[in-house]
This record gives sequence, structure tokens and C-alpha cells, in this order.
Amino acid sequence: MENIRNFCIIAHIDHGKSTLADRILELTGIVHTTGGEQILDSMELERERGITIKAKTVRMPYKAGDGKDYILNLIDTPGHVDFNYEVSRSLQACEGALLLIDASQGVEAQTIANANLAIDSGLKIIPVINKIDLQGAQIDDSLLQLEAMLGLSMDDALLISAKNGTGVVELLEAIVVRIPPPKGDEKAPLSCLIFDSYYDAYRGVIPHVRVFDGSVAAGDKIIIKSTGKTFDVEEVGYFCMRLIPAQKLQAGDVGYIVALVRDAGEIHVGDTIISGAFPQTPAIPGFRHSQSMVFCGIYPLSTNDYGKLQDSLQKLQLNDSAIAFEKESSAALGHGFRVGFLGMLHMEITIERLQREYEQELIATVPSVVYKVVNLKGNELLIDNPSKFPAPAEIDHIEEPIIRARIIVPPEYVGAVMELSLSKRGTMVSMEHPDGKRVLLVYDFPLAEVITDYYDKLKSVSRGYASMDYQFNGYKTGDLVKVDVLVNNDLVDALSYVAASETAVRKGRALVHKLLKLIPRQQFKVPIQAAIGGRIIAREDIAPIRKDVLAKCYGGDISRKRKLLEKQKEGKKKMKMIGAVEVPQEAFLSLLKIEE
Amino acid sequence: MTGLYVHVPFCAHKCDYCDFYSVAGRLDLVDSYIEAVITEASHYRGQSFDTLYLGGGTPSILGAKNLEHLVTSIKAALDVQKFNEATIEVNPDSASLELFEAALKNGINRISIGVQSLADAELKCVSRIHTAEQALTAIGMAAAAGFHRISVDVIIGLPGQTWQALFSTLDRIIMQPIDHISIYCLSLEHETPLALHPPADLPSDDDQADLFVQARDFLQNNGFVHYEISNFARPGCECAHNLNYWRGGEYVGLGPAAASHLHGRRFKNRADLSAYINDPCGVVEDSEELGGEKKLAEEAILHLRLLMEGLDVKNMISGFNPQHTARLTRRLDMLVTEGALLFDGAVYRLAPSAVLISNTVFCRVLPD
Ligand SMILES: Nc1nc2c(ncn2[C@@H]2O[C@H](COP(=O)(O)OP(=O)(O)OP(=O)(O)O)[C@@H](O)[C@H]2O)c(=O)[nH]1
Ligand code: SF4
Repeated sequence: MENIRNFCIIAHIDHGKSTLADRILELTGIVHTTGGEQILDSMELERERGITIKAKTVRMPYKAGDGKDYILNLIDTPGHVDFNYEVSRSLQACEGALLLIDASQGVEAQTIANANLAIDSGLKIIPVINKIDLQGAQIDDSLLQLEAMLGLSMDDALLISAKNGTGVVELLEAIVVRIPPPKGDEKAPLSCLIFDSYYDAYRGVIPHVRVFDGSVAAGDKIIIKSTGKTFDVEEVGYFCMRLIPAQKLQAGDVGYIVALVRDAGEIHVGDTIISGAFPQTPAIPGFRHSQSMVFCGIYPLSTNDYGKLQDSLQKLQLNDSAIAFEKESSAALGHGFRVGFLGMLHMEITIERLQREYEQELIATVPSVVYKVVNLKGNELLIDNPSKFPAPAEIDHIEEPIIRARIIVPPEYVGAVMELSLSKRGTMVSMEHPDGKRVLLVYDFPLAEVITDYYDKLKSVSRGYASMDYQFNGYKTGDLVKVDVLVNNDLVDALSYVAASETAVRKGRALVHKLLKLIPRQQFKVPIQAAIGGRIIAREDIAPIRKDVLAKCYGGDISRKRKLLEKQKEGKKKMKMIGAVEVPQEAFLSLLKIEE
Repeated sequence: MTGLYVHVPFCAHKCDYCDFYSVAGRLDLVDSYIEAVITEASHYRGQSFDTLYLGGGTPSILGAKNLEHLVTSIKAALDVQKFNEATIEVNPDSASLELFEAALKNGINRISIGVQSLADAELKCVSRIHTAEQALTAIGMAAAAGFHRISVDVIIGLPGQTWQALFSTLDRIIMQPIDHISIYCLSLEHETPLALHPPADLPSDDDQADLFVQARDFLQNNGFVHYEISNFARPGCECAHNLNYWRGGEYVGLGPAAASHLHGRRFKNRADLSAYINDPCGVVEDSEELGGEKKLAEEAILHLRLLMEGLDVKNMISGFNPQHTARLTRRLDMLVTEGALLFDGAVYRLAPSAVLISNTVFCRVLPD
């Protein structure tokens, strides 16, 4: 155990985490050349968006300057605001963290958030200033910020270029010297923590574990602590870009366990695996559970595909335990699921994965937060779907989740950020100037305002310079109303939304207008209305279609005409029938895209 | 009944809206084209044909001599004496008494003239190369030559067109010795000059719909029967060749881009004149033999285009799977409930209000 080092890299987005990981893999001989492609960001979607979603681990042998052989376990962590939970899980499996800072950007919002998480987890932190090769590298500023904003000593910082490898060997040495080896008792009963898992079509759910005490090997019986279920271990091993079977995993190790766990519901991240021989072994405490902050309805386009969708969600959940879902049904969309996410990005990525990796044709509804609706009897209802709101007359008051956002922005954009924040019902908590180059704004926002497009807008009003991080900060009473949308006089529950009273009418009008443009003209006139309670606040009519005809018909090329009709019909199939109205999938998310 | 269509792929000039297959300014290829058609025709020797339709392109551009050569050779190659109905499309700019007389002499008994509009400004706008006066003269010449069956094509929705303007065109047309009018809505076809640079004053779809409805009412009030979505005829003067298309009948198409329907198979010659000249029988493409439910739906849709005749399911069902027919009937009945189709106990017909949205309706006739 003395020669094991479990560590992770934490950083703000794009500060070079994946690039550094690649260099480390090369230096330890795990891979030879990377050909420019990042190795750890392997999922197609991650590559496209350039961000890391899933934590992955790699075990590397390393001969250090002291002549001894070490095992380095690098645990990759995600770096977006939505994924704080995943970061915290990965941190649990480590003893140390490399805090990476882009010298051309300095400390940013997620640098602070991640550093605090790591400090709270008791990890040894090695500050690393990256990209020192860049012309615009401001090494001194970054070092000063380390002390001023994070309370870390600049003397501890290492200067590297992950891109060209400068300083990376020194960094590996620092890992060996500064990060403590794992503690644990190999002789004690098995106790290991599930910090991730993925699904393999042949071998079932494969948990990624950190062993704290004892050891586990093929042939052992294990118990999943929370469920009490017993499984036979088929194989254990390490991650080394792929699964490498091993004799056993023991205290201090990071690896995987194959136990032919077929049911998705058996493995929960945060759970403890113990030995079948010692069922009384306690669970490992201190694991935070992910909390869904954003919910949306996900429905199969065709009702026949409900089972397939459920299957895909279950499989996805195995790879991403932060997804929560339960059945729900909608009068408009039929049977589907209410799915909970960590945030908007998480939601978008999940929907894309369902569509792409699982080839689901689906409809996603406008995201909602969880409201606390207190009715006149004083009962508190937690509602994550606006269509489930009680009638306005039964409501005493509504509370909504608030987040506290930390925004770091250069002074010249402060005005624009404040204006934007005001329009999103933000209230300023504090404003600090840690140095002349940046302002730290702390704001409280209703989460509902932030999940739509705040982050995108923040980036655009600050020309990309602002960074943000947020935390849940309790519930607060808001002046809120539920708005219903009626298509062809039928209430479409999936389009209902909650808005602040002051903006509800404006939003309603904008939404109705947007729907008018999105819903194609039908055989008959279709009124689109928005209503609060029974009161109509906006209405527009989609005029019936007047002309849809193939009039030019000589030559007798009947096949071409038939094919055109078939194509048209295919297009219609991609729409959802609401009553007799064909509504395109995008319409259900149109609230997100309205320009007020 | 079997029809024979000959595609004559030559034009003097390409009109801005046109996506029919034709080449402009290549009259040097006419001789070899005719030879190729004769070769292709001889392939069908022994087959009997009831109607002939020379379409294009611009068949009249061939001139009297070439036309005579083409028609006599085709007849000889097929060993056909005479067609019950034989139509030639004529553009006003290439109409001549000589041409009409040659046509008549060779058994052509129907003329279809591409009038399009009687407003010179509208014609110019889409680069038609003739005037209204030339069009009226062409009709007069055809009648004078002895043709009793004359049809005209009219386009609605031309740039800047108002009902006033369209009315003036139609009002003068019905005074002419014609018995048939085809009305087409101008549409922006992919990659055509009109689509690439659409004029600002192009009537919208809704405007076109208004124009069409007014034109239809006007023609009906003046004794024309709206017998097919785009076709109006004086009673009994429907185009037999085109009726055969909508009734699901068989036909052979000769020439590049010509479509055929023979022995249950639909196929088509590639739209490539030089390939056709090289190998008149070797450019078949898009061959398909529909079966089952698709075929049934196709036939139903074709019949529904015939607004008066409609779709008599009982006449059609022989040979189709009863299950398919039952499902089709269910879909049709649904459309009846919605008012898109009319049903009199035997025949389904497109409701007048649904004619202009027939694609929307037909999509729902197709099987799911
Ligand atoms: N010049 C220079 N560029 C670097 C260096 N390290 C990383 N980069 C570049 O910075 C960009 C972001 O690097 P990544 O490694 O993808 O950043 P990341 O932190 O993994 O990003 P996420 O996966 O989104 O968290 C890439 O274009 C890298 O090529 C460095 O040392 N010098
Ligand atoms: S004359 Fe007819 S076929 Fe030729 S370009 Fe004009 S519309 Fe097209």
C-alpha cells in the first residue's frame, strides 16, 4: 500500500485537465503517442462538446526518482458546473488532487468550487499552473490568486505546460512525495466504495471501486450493503485503458469487480461493497447523494417505444447514477418518464445520448425545478412538474429553489452581468475585487431562471470571460404562477410552465407566438392560447392550410409523386398528435427558446 | 387501355420556373433523337395503344417535317394504324398552320397549347418567349386547320398576378374554340432560376389558393367540369390519355425522362438525352413493382384525383388483400368524418374544399 498514490485532477473547464492526463499516460508508458486526440475524453459527445462527462480511472506503474516502483491511480473528474456531484464522488476515492490552473486565465469559478470540495474532503492539494508556454501566460498573477482566492501557498505550486510536457516529470515526483499513500487494513473485512459504474452487455453492471479495507478476489462472495444482496465475484482487476484482470484487489487499490450483476437497480454509486463472510461490516459514511435539480418529462415519440425508452434510461443510469427517473404520464404525450438531472447541461447531454447512443425518438418537455407548493390547509407539496400544480385558489404560497452563484468576471463586463442577473430575478449578495483584473460577484437566483439560458447569456454578455459556479441555497417564497397552454382548446399539460407573476404574461405571449411559428398549419384553424387559471392571457390562431397540392401532373411519373407523398408522411410521423393537431417535437422545448 | 407517351426534350429557351427535362438550343440533336425513339418504339412492337401524347419540352419545335417523320415512324415501328386520341403539345412561338396541318394529316386529333397567361408582362416575368397575341393566334390557327379538340395550359400564381389579371386571361380564353383547360399553380422547383431568385411579388400559397378557387368557380360557371385536380373540360372532352394515368392504367413512355407503367411495373428513362441517343433501350431506371398495401394506396390516391369519377373501392379491390382493403376503407372513412372526402355509399370523392390540400389528405390515405 505504501507505493500506491490515488489522485485526481481538478480544474475549471478547458484549463487542460485532459491534456495533462495524456502527458502523464505517456510518461508512465501507458500510451505512446496520442496523435493529438485526447485519451480520456472518449465518449463521442464529450469530444464534440470538449468537456469531460464521465469520470474514468487509469492505473499506471511509475518508477520514481527514489528508485522505487509506484502505482499511480489517476481518477479523471468532470469539470462543469452541473457535475459537482461527480467530482465529489471521485474525490472520495483519492488521497490527493492536482489543482490545475490555466496561467492565461487564472483562477476561475470552478477552480474555487473544486478546490473547496477537495479541501473539504481532506485531500492533499498540489497547485499546478498550466500552459506556461503560452505568450499570454500570467504566471505571477495566477500564483497571487492562489493565495488570495484559495488560501493555498504559492510556494507549493508547480509550473508546467501540459501541452509540451515541461514540468510534468517534476509533477509526477511531487505526486509520489507529497500525496500520502492510502491507509487501510488489508487483514480487516472487505470494505469498498462504489464511485462509478458502467454497463457491459455481456458482464452486466461493473462497479468501479476503491478498496478501503480488506481484499477481494474471484470466487469471493460479496454483499451490496444497502440492499443486502449477495453476489459471486467472477473477476476483479484494474483499469488500464481497458479492463486488466488481477488476482485480487486490496486495501488502497482502485479497480473493478465483475459479479454478473444483471439488474441496473442493484448498484448505486456511494454504496459500500462488503464481504459475504462479514455481513456486519458498516457502510462507508460521508458519501453525498446526487440531488436532481432539474426535471423534465421524456416521452417516446411513438407510444410503442415506451419499453425501449425505459430500457435505455436504465442502462444510461448505470453509467450515470446522477440521473433519476420515474414513470409519469401526460394527457398529451401518454406514458413516459419524469427524469431528474444535476443541471441543464446534464439534461442536454443525457437527451442527446438517448437519441444518439440509444437511438430513441423522443420528446423532451420544458425543464422544471422542484417547487414547494403550500396549500391552504398548510400542507407542503413538492412538485417537479408544473402540470401537477393545484388550482390557484387552493394555493397559499409557492416556494422555489434558490441557488447561490459565484461569478468571476473582468471589471468591464460587470455592468452587463448585473443587468442580465437583474432580468433573471437575481439578488446580489456581495461583490469583491480580489485583484484589479477580476470581480467576484455572488448572486442568489431562483434556480428556474438559471436553468433556461442564464449560463449561455452570461457567456455572451461577457464575451466568454465570465465563469460561474453555483450551489443550492435553500427555498424561498416567490410570486409565482402556473401558466397553461391550450392547443386547439385542449390543455397540453406538457407545455405548462411556472413563471414569476411579473413576467408570466410576457412569456405567455412570446410562447404562443413561438408555437404559432413552430406548429405547421393544419387542415383546420388551430387556436393557441396561454392561460393562468381560467384567464386567457395570450392567443393566436394558426390559420388552416390552404394549399398543399401537386398540381403539375403531366408525364405520368406516378412513382415520383408517390415518393413525395411518402416523404411528406414520414415528416408527419415525426410529429406528436395532440388531439388532431400535429405538433413537432421542438415545440415542447420552445419555452427555452423564446426571445422575450 | 394503353397509352403511349413520347417525351420531346427540346425547347427554344428554358422558362424560369420549369423543371421538366428539356434542353435548349440543341436542335442539332433532333435527327438522332428521332432515330432513337424509333429504335425504342420497335421494342414495343405488337403492343396495342389507344392514345398518343407528344409532350415535352416543346414538341412543336420539331416543325412539320420532323413531326411527320416521327409520328409515321413510330406508328410503323409499333405497327399501329391509328390512335383514338392523339395529342401534341404546342408552344405559341413555334405554332404554324403548316405544323397543324401536318399533325392532322398524321392522325393527331388534339392540340394542347402552352398559353400560360394572356398578360404579356406576366409571361415576360417568367421568361416565356411568346406574347398573348401569339397564343391567341395559335389557337385560331389550330381551329382553322381543323382541330376540334384544343386544350390550353394556364399558370396561376405568376409574379404580381391578381384575380383581376387572371380573370382577364380566363375570360378571354373561354371565348376561344377550346374544350379543355389545365390549370397549374406556379411552384418554386429546386434549382430553377425562379427558385434561386424569387421575385418579391410572387403570390403566397394563400394567394394562390384564393386565385385557384376563384378560377375554379369561374370556369365551372362557364360550363367547364373540374374533373381532375388541375384539369377542367367541357362535358365529354376530358383527356383520355391523362384519364388513363389516374385510373391506374398502363402506358409506355418513349424518350428521355419518360415514365412507363407496364405489366404492373413502373419505370422511367433516365433524364439524359445523349445517353438516350446512345442507347435508347438502356437507360431505364427507378424500376419498381409495388405490391400489396402500397399499390392499393397508390391506386386509391390516383382515383381520388378524379374529382367526379372518384374512387369506387368495390371496383378496385379485386386482386387486393381484403385486410389491406379493410384498412384502406377505415382510413378513407376517417377522412369522410373529417369532411376531407365525400362518400355516397359507393364512391369516395375529394371534397371541393380539400382539393387544394390534397397532399395533406393523400398522406393519410397512405398506409402507416
Ligand atoms: N498552449 C497550451 N495549451 C494547452 C496546454 N494544456 C492544454 N492546452 C489546451 O487547452 C485546451 C483545453 O485542454 P483540455 O485538456 O481539453 O481541457 P480540460 O480541462 O480537459 O477540459 P474539460 O474536459 O472540458 O474539463 C486544449 O485546446 C488544449 O490543447 C498547455 O500546457 N499549453
Ligand atoms: S417550354 Fe415548357 S418544357 Fe420548355 S422550358 Fe418552358 S415550360 Fe419547360
